[in-house]
Amino acid sequence: MSKVRFFLKRITQTVFLLWLVLTFLFFLFRLMPGDISDILLYQGADPDTVAEFEESWGLNDPLYVQYFQYIYNFILLEPGYSVQTNEPVWDFVKMNIFNTFILAAPAITLAYILGAVIGTVTGTKRGGKLEKFVPVPLLTIGAIPEFFLAILMIIVFAGFLGWFPTSSMIDPAVANQYSDDPWWRIYFTQSFAMHFVLPFTTVVLRYLFLPSLIMRTSVVEVLGQDFIFYKRVTGLPKSARLKSIAKHSSLPVITLYPISMARAIGGLVLIETVFNWPGMGYALVQAVLARDFATVQFVFFVIAAFVIVANFVIDIFYSVIDPRVSLDD
Amino acid sequence: MSDDPLLEVENLTVQYKTKEGMLTAVSDASFAVSEGEYFGVVGESGCGKSTLLLSILNALDSNGQVTNGVIRYKGEEIQDLSEQELNQRIRWKEIAYIPQGSMNSLDPLERISTQAVQLAGLHSDLNEEEALTKFEEMFEIVGIDPERIHDYPHQFSGGMKQRAIIALALFLEPSLIIADEPTTALDVIMQDQIFKHIDDIVDRVGTSIMLITHDIAVVFESCDRMAVMHGGQIAEVGPVTRIDNEPHHPYSTLLQEAFPDIREPNRDLSVIEGKPPRQIGETDYCTFVDRCPWATEECREAPPPLERAEADRSDHFVSCFRKDDVREENEQGTDDRKAPNQKSGSLANDE
Repeated sequence: MSKVRFFLKRITQTVFLLWLVLTFLFFLFRLMPGDISDILLYQGADPDTVAEFEESWGLNDPLYVQYFQYIYNFILLEPGYSVQTNEPVWDFVKMNIFNTFILAAPAITLAYILGAVIGTVTGTKRGGKLEKFVPVPLLTIGAIPEFFLAILMIIVFAGFLGWFPTSSMIDPAVANQYSDDPWWRIYFTQSFAMHFVLPFTTVVLRYLFLPSLIMRTSVVEVLGQDFIFYKRVTGLPKSARLKSIAKHSSLPVITLYPISMARAIGGLVLIETVFNWPGMGYALVQAVLARDFATVQFVFFVIAAFVIVANFVIDIFYSVIDPRVSLDD
Repeated sequence: MSDDPLLEVENLTVQYKTKEGMLTAVSDASFAVSEGEYFGVVGESGCGKSTLLLSILNALDSNGQVTNGVIRYKGEEIQDLSEQELNQRIRWKEIAYIPQGSMNSLDPLERISTQAVQLAGLHSDLNEEEALTKFEEMFEIVGIDPERIHDYPHQFSGGMKQRAIIALALFLEPSLIIADEPTTALDVIMQDQIFKHIDDIVDRVGTSIMLITHDIAVVFESCDRMAVMHGGQIAEVGPVTRIDNEPHHPYSTLLQEAFPDIREPNRDLSVIEGKPPRQIGETDYCTFVDRCPWATEECREAPPPLERAEADRSDHFVSCFRKDDVREENEQGTDDRKAPNQKSGSLANDE
């Protein structure tokens, strides 16, 4: 019963948060100087045409009317039309969202798996050379601004060595070749794989230091716990103890995983821009420049929704692995 | 109680590698625990009790090592056994342990029964069902509802966790249980209950227990024999009644005066000034010398050997050069001790 209450409470909270995000986004972008009309005028459009345009898009209505219309449409799962292409926003950005996920999700997951291993190794060898020197390159790479790291990668691996293409997600020729196939076909081409390597590696390197360092600290802390000593004295072999240490130490890392994931998905703007990767960040930049409110709002909403939902999922997952965390409240 | 020693420690020296050099935590310690015996080790914080126990369990920190002496268990030297041999033959099957920090010694992510089944799988032939049945019996012995073996540690109170830890120690019927200040974190009522359980175990199960504590009253109340430690050295070993009534070592004498006695409710409790020294390098003197009212120059020149307290007694040993003088004074009730901190006094004279 109390679990049902927990879920109801969390769902209510989630809906409320999402509404707050929507409202905030709506008013924030209306406060920005300039709108689509200014851009059209600047581009030399006829003022009468612009007036007609404003009328047809409902831009002359009072702000609160626009707001309620917007929320109403959102509830009906219609986040509006892009002023850039006149398409529904969802059709316009769905591929970008997918492209970001396909880059960020495996990269962050790999960074966390690698980080957990590095952290365990350095943490258990406390005081050794490994523990002293491994964090240095990790932190250095983590401290380089991501766009600069991306440029370095391009210079070295695409420029000097010429192993990988410099930018975009796929060769246009290859994309054309598969234009009649289902949309997912292009993700299984060699061209995509070659384009994928550099941005993927950049994201992994960029996010590797956090799980590594957290895991290291966590392992050191767990090693000093009474129950690990007790396990040793009870005659538990080393392999079983290491398993237990890893399980305990990974708790804080698991908490961070969705946060990093959310940050990566929202924060790939620069990496996507440098690599010309047609993801969410890329779409976001284009939409902001075009004052394409509906698109901007929707993309930001997707990012926020991801963070909120991911945290919810991790809360549930956490209660499964740690019996001290209970969903009953 | 048979006379075969179950555990024998001979001339044990344990040192830790530190930045200032080798720190001697236990120096030339010798004692034996017989089968079925309840053996107490007392001493104040930092006197080497825990190091002594860790070296018996072969679980010293990585910077610590046994540099001299032997630890014999059932006649076999165990101080140099490999981790694997210890795990297979000695740990838990033979020597179990009740930790000081019992609050945090159970794995919080695992059910207590899971932890017990794991131990049974490692050290016995019991299958899961038999192990659970047996563990339920252990819970009954320590006074917890047997149904609660499947709980997680955080669902237990502090006293229950401690009792669960005792149940785990008893679980595979070891010959020796080493208890390291098992009641440190508990209130006095719970302390009393825990010690009753331990007494009960000695009586009913016949396991030997080595109890490490700083509470000399508990040792006097329950143990058969005891060792008094100071600064890494064993000051006195013998039957509890002997040390209680006729302490030979100055430290034992002073310790007793520092504890209230129900027979003399109005006596002022004395204080032993100072603290055990931190010993870098070999211990080549009596570590009690700076706190000892009987100390002479001789005490600074060499460590006192652990010798028979009285020539005709084979069960009572004392390490003190002046044991006969101390003993005589105690008997005659005269009191011509010098003021303590003789060292600082002599420094003042030099100036």
